[in-house]
Amino acid sequence: MAGVDTAAPRGHDKKKKKKKKMRRLSIRIDMTPMVDVAFLLLTFFMLTTTMSRPQTMEINLPPSNTNVEVAMSNLMTLRVKDDGKIYWNIGVDDPKRVEYKDLRTLMVQQSQQNPRLITLLKVDRKGKYRMMVDIMDELNLAKVTRFSLAPMQEADKKILSKVPA
Amino acid sequence: MPKIKKARIAVKIDMTPMVDVAFLLLTFFMLTTQFRPAEEVAIILPSSHSAFKLPESDVMLVTISKDNRIFLGFDSQRLMGKLFGEENRLRTSVEVTTKELPDLLIRARIANPKLRTVVKGDVDAEYGLAEDIMDIFQKTQITRFNLVTDLKRD
Repeated sequence: MAGVDTAAPRGHDKKKKKKKKMRRLSIRIDMTPMVDVAFLLLTFFMLTTTMSRPQTMEINLPPSNTNVEVAMSNLMTLRVKDDGKIYWNIGVDDPKRVEYKDLRTLMVQQSQQNPRLITLLKVDRKGKYRMMVDIMDELNLAKVTRFSLAPMQEADKKILSKVPA
Repeated sequence: MPKIKKARIAVKIDMTPMVDVAFLLLTFFMLTTQFRPAEEVAIILPSSHSAFKLPESDVMLVTISKDNRIFLGFDSQRLMGKLFGEENRLRTSVEVTTKELPDLLIRARIANPKLRTVVKGDVDAEYGLAEDIMDIFQKTQITRFNLVTDLKRD
């Protein structure tokens, strides 16, 4: 099937019989093993190749020397404890617990009520990196683009510890 | 009376075009494939719905591992050699401390101002360390950076 014929005797050679006949050997190369190997390599490269590049999430930080004054009523604080529990409050209200799965609806509601809302995300230092990425993803999905990260201080922990479980 | 003999037709399929296409695909995949570079540590990425693609070149990668170590890596070997010494030229990333990091970030960005900063953190890395790193970024005037995530589908 997969073969190559080389130097097949041509018709007009027969007429020149008197000349010393060049012995042309008809060589038949069986290409099957080569094609087999080619297919093997093809499948290997097709299966190992990864076409997609990793996804990323873009973050813009304000330069360190800028200070933005925000009215307390426009400030929503999200605090995340080291065990992953999320608490939210607006201004100086008492923090309320919110489940991770309800976070998106909460954010959509709150930003509809107050379009000038700015969100401050405070994650406990002992928390996991995953929590920050998950919550920022939820904020992005809720179309909350104005949020910033702030370190969680002892005062925040004290506020959280007063919240009844 | 003899049966009417069915003429058997010898089927001969010319495989040449198929083999040609196979070789074409083979060359394509061989040339486009990029093997995943050996990483210093295995990282389990968090997932998000963000669909930004990782830039292809001029990448400065800060990796935060599960056991809270920081690795700094560049995609250009020239820059790796310049910052970490020739012996580390072929490595993908080198472990650094939070003390060394600001200086290295500044020197790297002087060498290549087009560098884009990418943070690749493990899901179980401590947030405090990520916070420190973001603090360092802010101090070294890196105000825009990307976090590597897996695409979440739901």
